[in-house]
Amino acid sequence: MVRLRSILLFLLLFKSFGSIIAEEEDQIEQFSEALLLRPLPDRKVLAHFHFESKVPPTRTHGSHHHLFPKSIYQLVHKFRVREMELSFTQGRWNYARWGGHDPISSRNAKPPGVELWATFDVPQHQVDASWRNLTHALSGLFCASINFLESSIAYSSPQWSFKSFATNIRYGTLPREAVCTENLTPWLKLLPCRDKAGLSALMDRPSIYRGFYHSQRLHLVSNEFDLAAASSGMVLEQTLTVVLQPVTLGSGMTSSVAIQQPSWSLSSLFGRKVSGRCVLSNASNVYVQLEPDLVSELKTTSETQQQSDVENLISQAWSDMSFEMSESAVRVIQEANDFQKESSLLYEFSLENFSDSRPFDLEFRWKRPVTWSSQLAPLQAHRFLMGSGNERGAIAISLKSVGRSEYAKSSVNEEGRCSLRVDLFQVVPWYVKVYYHTLKVFLDERLHSLADVVERTNVSPSEDKVSPGLMEIALRLPCDVHSVILTLEFDKGFLHIDEYPPDANQGFDIPSALIRFPEIKTKMHLFEDKSACKSPILSKLQEESPVLWYTEVLLVPLTTPDFSMPYNVITITCTVFALYFGSLLNALRRRVEEEERLLKSKAAKPSGPIGVLLSKLSAKLRGKPLEPPPPSSSSKVSYKLILRVILVAGIAAAWQYFYG
Amino acid sequence: MPEGASRDSAMAEISEAPTSSDPPNTKSEEEHFDPKTMRKTKPGLKRLFLTLTVFISFLIALPFLLKSIEIYRAPLPFEDIDLLSTEMEKNHLLFPCQFQVVFVNFDDITAVNELGLLIDSHMQKLTSENSPPCGACGNNVTVAVTIDSNSNCIHSESGNGDSKWQCGMLNGFDKVNDHDEDFDEYLESVLDSKNRKVYTVVVMNRKQEDVRIVVGKYRHAWIVGNDSVEKAVEKMAEIFIKVFVNGGKEEGSIRGEFMPVGADGKVVLSFSLLNSDPHDWVYDWDFKELDEILLAPVVDALRPVADISVESQVLYHTPKSSYSYWDDTQGSYIFSTKDLPFFVNSNEWHLDTSTAAGGRSKVLHFVLYVPSAKECPLKLQLPNGEISMTNGFISPMWGGIIVWNPPACVENFQMQHLSRHKISSEDLKMISEVFMGQLRQLFGLKSESLYVGGFATSVLLTSDKGFAEWELDVLSRHHTCFNLLQCGTTLGSLSRLVQSLPRMIIMDEIGKQVKYSLEAAKLSLGNVSLGYSDASAVSSRKARALAEDAFYHPSMMSVSYYSFEHCFAVYSPFFLPVSLHVLLAVMREWKRYRVENRKYLAWKVKVKVE
Repeated sequence: MVRLRSILLFLLLFKSFGSIIAEEEDQIEQFSEALLLRPLPDRKVLAHFHFESKVPPTRTHGSHHHLFPKSIYQLVHKFRVREMELSFTQGRWNYARWGGHDPISSRNAKPPGVELWATFDVPQHQVDASWRNLTHALSGLFCASINFLESSIAYSSPQWSFKSFATNIRYGTLPREAVCTENLTPWLKLLPCRDKAGLSALMDRPSIYRGFYHSQRLHLVSNEFDLAAASSGMVLEQTLTVVLQPVTLGSGMTSSVAIQQPSWSLSSLFGRKVSGRCVLSNASNVYVQLEPDLVSELKTTSETQQQSDVENLISQAWSDMSFEMSESAVRVIQEANDFQKESSLLYEFSLENFSDSRPFDLEFRWKRPVTWSSQLAPLQAHRFLMGSGNERGAIAISLKSVGRSEYAKSSVNEEGRCSLRVDLFQVVPWYVKVYYHTLKVFLDERLHSLADVVERTNVSPSEDKVSPGLMEIALRLPCDVHSVILTLEFDKGFLHIDEYPPDANQGFDIPSALIRFPEIKTKMHLFEDKSACKSPILSKLQEESPVLWYTEVLLVPLTTPDFSMPYNVITITCTVFALYFGSLLNALRRRVEEEERLLKSKAAKPSGPIGVLLSKLSAKLRGKPLEPPPPSSSSKVSYKLILRVILVAGIAAAWQYFYG
Repeated sequence: MPEGASRDSAMAEISEAPTSSDPPNTKSEEEHFDPKTMRKTKPGLKRLFLTLTVFISFLIALPFLLKSIEIYRAPLPFEDIDLLSTEMEKNHLLFPCQFQVVFVNFDDITAVNELGLLIDSHMQKLTSENSPPCGACGNNVTVAVTIDSNSNCIHSESGNGDSKWQCGMLNGFDKVNDHDEDFDEYLESVLDSKNRKVYTVVVMNRKQEDVRIVVGKYRHAWIVGNDSVEKAVEKMAEIFIKVFVNGGKEEGSIRGEFMPVGADGKVVLSFSLLNSDPHDWVYDWDFKELDEILLAPVVDALRPVADISVESQVLYHTPKSSYSYWDDTQGSYIFSTKDLPFFVNSNEWHLDTSTAAGGRSKVLHFVLYVPSAKECPLKLQLPNGEISMTNGFISPMWGGIIVWNPPACVENFQMQHLSRHKISSEDLKMISEVFMGQLRQLFGLKSESLYVGGFATSVLLTSDKGFAEWELDVLSRHHTCFNLLQCGTTLGSLSRLVQSLPRMIIMDEIGKQVKYSLEAAKLSLGNVSLGYSDASAVSSRKARALAEDAFYHPSMMSVSYYSFEHCFAVYSPFFLPVSLHVLLAVMREWKRYRVENRKYLAWKVKVKVE
């Protein structure tokens, strides 16, 4: 309790200073690093690196920086980027287990591959040109094939479902982009300490790429070009979110290993320790977050041990707890949430006092088995393909309720009916020709009329080889719905032979659809006063953001031609023509009478030895006595013919033997 | 084929045909008539004509086929390209220059024209020692001589009227030796060389012990002292040739043909401050000050040569990749000149090409390296064992590096942990001067303010713009020459490439670019010979940019090479068998016709004999 009071006192003191400090700090460049660790219910650990660079506006600060990366600054100025987000992701975020209703998942769960969106501060007609140039610049900067987003068949401009109040936005994804270290290294280059010091030194490549989910993100906000607004310069936020399976530390080898959560430490997760902070960062902290459900679970387990408050968790009296941590936290932040009875806990560790000689290696050790579940999104979304064959199919998006009703409370309308708004944003490549009139909505497995459910739609059908199809739908669903299924039928298109990718037989990807719950916002209620929060990661967590859900990427097999087909066709056509031509020519210069006379004279002459032999043989076979040789015309001819055939066969065999 | 094999017998049959159809005439005739060697009718031409028609029509159609499968190649003026590149390689571009000599207070000489010839011959001697570098002054040099003494004022015949020296301007100007700068400005106000582009040397006969030679910031120099005319003439010729024309370069330094200017005429000066280990100390600079006060005039001055933009960054954790050792006598860590190739650590120094620099502009890196505590102070040892004054070095076409030892390491002062320092403005000024010297060297100029020639040592006045007028002239001439050379070699390699790949598609745009590039190069050459140096610089830059545009055109890069094998594979399934048929048919018919005709002739002869 004493500690809690001191924290409060500190906060109060800080509040008074805060405004003065904030004024000054706005005028210098800032960089901060943070790492948030969270044990996940399925025996995995989430590690979320967060780096933020801020730079004051050029008007007051000039264009020479000592922390902010030059390349990004130049990028923003050259293409007049207002906001941009680029993410490289490998693996899928498991919404059901790792949570879908917390700020981290709604911001950092990204579709597989590359996702890029950007808004520009240029006139409407220049946006596409800016986008194309930006994709090329980013492609060079991050060693990725982002330049494939350049062509108009690869990007689209969502109106309201992807991001509210955004104009001049362009959005594109590359679901099949492989993400690896060559993308991480340039990303690290943007940090002042790269991976030489500080938290980024933990990024041991084999460890972080071994994880179940890996998402590297770069988010850039600049209002340099706003003339009216009080410009706050540029903010570059770089995050790396990984989900790792800890190697169990050798302890608690009891029979309950199966349900016991694995204990972990930084060195067991990453194979490295943190040897001090990056000296250039203003703040460098490590946080361990316990989810609300886990906190309440821990409370109940404590109650059975006759311990009765969350204060045990706060005061870090590990002896009675279900877990312990090797370092003692500088600060424990409890979420002050009015709506929910559970609230999450954040343990803050500062890297201030650690160095090479005393590296920071946080160890998190479970003592008793605990089970809990993450905060889930109101509806679970999945998308799949229906139908078979290479001609047509259907896309189905299913939304299933998770059976919690507390989300609904906030969205009761005037008539007292509880409803839930769901925005759906889906981009479909042109060769999957979606018939938007076939959209059907099933509520609880009963067909429903669209007008009842759909609040707003924006569809821009695809144009062959020009633009992809874009569908934005806002659904208004009753709260008590259990399952919603949307289906759309499509025809599979044919591509030109040049348009097939090298591995055409693998199929074609339809990028993830985005399900957005615009009325359900998620944030952590850490501090009442915003200025009290110094750490950028905490202020990010406090920001409200809508709950998002990216669906699976779909793999559509299209008819793939035999790519040697054109040549085969050419060959066979030419052969037929050549045959026709040759026989025509021969027919024209044929001398029929002469040939007949020739036949007659042949008949008069005795046939060759092979002809005799053949006729004898045939007579024997027929079981008839040898007749006098029939008027064979071809005895001499066939003899030569056979010689020739043998010669050709010999040449062919030799050819085959030597070259085949 | 049975037909071919049994031809002889077939021939025999044919000659029988008329005999069987016609009633036999006489017994004796039949005896003498051998159907194997004779025939009575003329052999028909119908089939021969038919096959020949087919064959000839194939031959006629062949050009049309070739035309139809021809790929598009814009016509390129190969001869003109070859002409340009050989011309650029063979004889260097030479500019016309105007010189003026003024003898002040020389009472005993009057032969101005002879003096002019003498200076000219000395200059010829100096230029003939080594072939003139590209961008030097050519043979059409005019030397105007003026003798300005108390008694008379004589002008030589050469030299145009308006550039003449007005006599008596220097009367009463005594403090020549005290304030070089003031005298320089005064001379400039008199000569107005900025607009007239005449190089002037003023010789002043004075009673003083040593002879001083000063080269001003504009286009003139003066010699003060008690010197004989012959010696003064030698010195003058040297100043003209070695300083004004060649830019005071040492022989064998960076070759003048290389100018660190991009094809689009842009140069990006990228300044990087590298803190090799921020755990020891973190230094920051006020680059804005450096940019606005020290670099802006230079950028402005170089505008005729290149369009320069400046950017900066600060990087951390950037150790150098070469080793240094501790030297007790120097009290510092030493790295020697042989380590220099390994100094730049390309793995850790993310100097990056600039996004803003797009296109083909040249990036010159200027690196200020702050060593870490364990290698501080770090000093560069020259090959002669001395410690370098500037502690920096350049890498041609790449940029320059300065090692700056922070004051903290010299004082061996235990710093507070994690403190951020600013490089003091005095240090920054010194650093910027070294950078300036490096920039001058990268452009092929001397970084010292003394020129030691064969006859005399002259003082070069330094301009606060970094480059004197005559140096800019030299650069501009070199730039023009370099651009034209580059244009010639680029077009030459383009033409070689195009000629070596006969089935490469060449877009119209490339043809146009090549054409315009050649036109611009010709225009530039014409302007050079006429003496319009600014216009020739502009058109030479255009010529080079267009040539490079053509060479790096995306359609040249892509795999638009439509190979002959491909073409053959597509057409051979039809044309190979058909042409075989046609050829064989023609050959056979022709052979048969000849044989039959011989038979017919033989019969005729026989008939005649009988």
